[in-house]
Amino acid sequence: MQTTYRLKGNAFYYIIFAPAFLLILFLTIYPVFSVLVNSLYKYNFLSEGKTFIGLHNFKQILGEGIFRTAFVNTVIFSLVATITEATLGVALALLFYGRFAGKRAAMTTVIFPMMISTMVICAIWKTMYHYDIGVLNYLLTSLGFGRVGWLTDQSIALVSVMIVDVWQWTPFAFIIVQAGLNSVPTELFEAAHIDGAGYFGTLFHITIPILANQILLVFLLRTIDTFRIFDKVYALTQGGPGNATETVSYFIYREGFSFFNLGRASAASVYTLLVIAVIATLYIRNILKEES
Amino acid sequence: MNRRALLILVTIVVAAGMVFASGSSEQTAGGQKVTLTIAGRDGAYGDAMQLAADEYSKQNPNVSFEILKLSGSNLLEKTVIDLRSGTGTYDLIMIDDPIAPRMQQAGWLANLDEMYAAHNQKVDPDLINNVVKLGRYPYGDSGTLYALPHVGNVELFAYRTDLAEKYGYSSLDKWDQVLELAKKMKAGESDVTPILFRGAKGNPIVTGFLPIYWSFGAKILDNGKPAFNTPQAKNALDFFLELSKYAPNGVSMYQSAQVRDALYSGAGGVAIEVWPGWIGDLDNPEKSKVVGKVKVTNHPGEVNPSSPLIGVWLLGIPKDSKNKEEAFKFLQFVTSKAMQREIADKTGIPPTRVSVHKDSALVEKYPWYPAELQGLETGVARPRTDYWSEIETALGGFLQQALIGDLTAAQALEQTQQKVQEIIQ
Repeated sequence: MQTTYRLKGNAFYYIIFAPAFLLILFLTIYPVFSVLVNSLYKYNFLSEGKTFIGLHNFKQILGEGIFRTAFVNTVIFSLVATITEATLGVALALLFYGRFAGKRAAMTTVIFPMMISTMVICAIWKTMYHYDIGVLNYLLTSLGFGRVGWLTDQSIALVSVMIVDVWQWTPFAFIIVQAGLNSVPTELFEAAHIDGAGYFGTLFHITIPILANQILLVFLLRTIDTFRIFDKVYALTQGGPGNATETVSYFIYREGFSFFNLGRASAASVYTLLVIAVIATLYIRNILKEES
Repeated sequence: MNRRALLILVTIVVAAGMVFASGSSEQTAGGQKVTLTIAGRDGAYGDAMQLAADEYSKQNPNVSFEILKLSGSNLLEKTVIDLRSGTGTYDLIMIDDPIAPRMQQAGWLANLDEMYAAHNQKVDPDLINNVVKLGRYPYGDSGTLYALPHVGNVELFAYRTDLAEKYGYSSLDKWDQVLELAKKMKAGESDVTPILFRGAKGNPIVTGFLPIYWSFGAKILDNGKPAFNTPQAKNALDFFLELSKYAPNGVSMYQSAQVRDALYSGAGGVAIEVWPGWIGDLDNPEKSKVVGKVKVTNHPGEVNPSSPLIGVWLLGIPKDSKNKEEAFKFLQFVTSKAMQREIADKTGIPPTRVSVHKDSALVEKYPWYPAELQGLETGVARPRTDYWSEIETALGGFLQQALIGDLTAAQALEQTQQKVQEIIQ
């Protein structure tokens, strides 16, 4: 009797949630399914031809040097940018911990890059990186160093794009870590201090372990975001010089929106999806483990 | 909400739906009110289109315009998606000439020959025939007309006459002379970079290279097959790489802004590629430090005569446009002699008519018009193939790798040959 009553009660919730659930299903599962299906076809949006070719797109793009370079660049970009942003984010959060005069103004300044449009940021950095008239080379030459081809030297171009990403998104890591830090009772640090713990002892044995979840969250979100890096490459280098800043997202964009080869673009998207799914699963599993 | 209120609400929604579903035309007391939606380019192209639209609205008050001013890539994305889905959002679209064959082949554009015939009219012979052909499918004089040339873009060549004369050149007719001059400038002019071009990968570097490539007798496709593994192609790329030794440090990321800045500031000696839109203020003392010192002319030749690249923007009417008739009238208006003259005068956009290129007032204002006309009449169109975007990207990538020293000329051409072969297959 009670079970029937509970089922009836639950049925009501199922019914009212069903439209939203179906909508979410349509908006998430359908596009992914559609990409999976398209990846199995030779499909050009312009010519309208669609021929089933199985896994050929996957094999073909994996065999192409440019895709492999794009993939390696993306992994390097994602790793370096994420680690740097998380480290700097933690450092900034520690720097801003506690009360001091001008904290609000300083925080606003630090957070500012995150609030500007990426295209505007890229335009500013592109000017700063300019070989002849850029402020960075001006400073270098003023100090007696040679000019650097920030966006024109193959060995530096990817680092230059990373610097822009780190500049823009370190504030994001800072905000998340700082929110975690502010939720820690100050008594904990006071007790550690009374027990004779030094700054670094407190930092490595108390602060960072407590902030582990926030730091993992930063890693999760920034890894996913940096793995999809597109806008900065598009605005700063367009994949050049050579293939030095080619990334998987830029490869997908070119295949999809310049050549309209939706089959190949979908296959490359599936590779990206798989990598992001694996990374996200690892992180989320870790976060859940910590919680349990 | 009671049933009556619900019924009223549904009626209003249905009525509103019918109004909006009927497209952008509606009957008014003054006649058929029409809104033409144009997908066009940004910058001066957008200004030119706006000028024509405003003038047309003045003459035809029942016609208003919605003009989308988009970047080249954004325009392509938006128009392809709309044309493919057949929604008829746009009444006129600007088309970069290499993409036209795909749109024409897919049957997405209205047949202008039929529209001309319905109005007992013919294409005005004043429009330069070499560029009218680009709007026909199949390409040539007898193909069906799907688009009219709107912007007469053709690649030009610019050099500092003061420096050329200083080193003994009254004109630069052969590419070898350009290289000799570059060497002399390098030795004698410490504050001048002898050679300028766009070295960014993809379209920019390809566009800068093709006039050399073609004039050395090389071809992109020969009977539909890639032709990058020929001695002519090798000679052309060897020459281009030799010339690039006299280009600025970082030329591999140069875009139009950098070439223009260097030219206007007097920091460049020879620009192997300039476009009409870049050079309008060369003789404006407020913007240029080289007033009267730069000659804009046709490219030098080598084995073949001067072989500039034609980069015309066409205007076509989507087959699914809901206002084809009005769009056709506006298309004729915007490409008319009077309007082209007005656009050229006020925005600097290059015309596609012979008579406008010969207008004495305009020639005085734009002294390169005779060269531009010659370029449009004799210039080379990019191959009419479905795969031009892919070919250009492949060639542009390998060319840049050769430019920055990652590949030799032979390797770059061999890899382009292989890649283009794959693309075409």
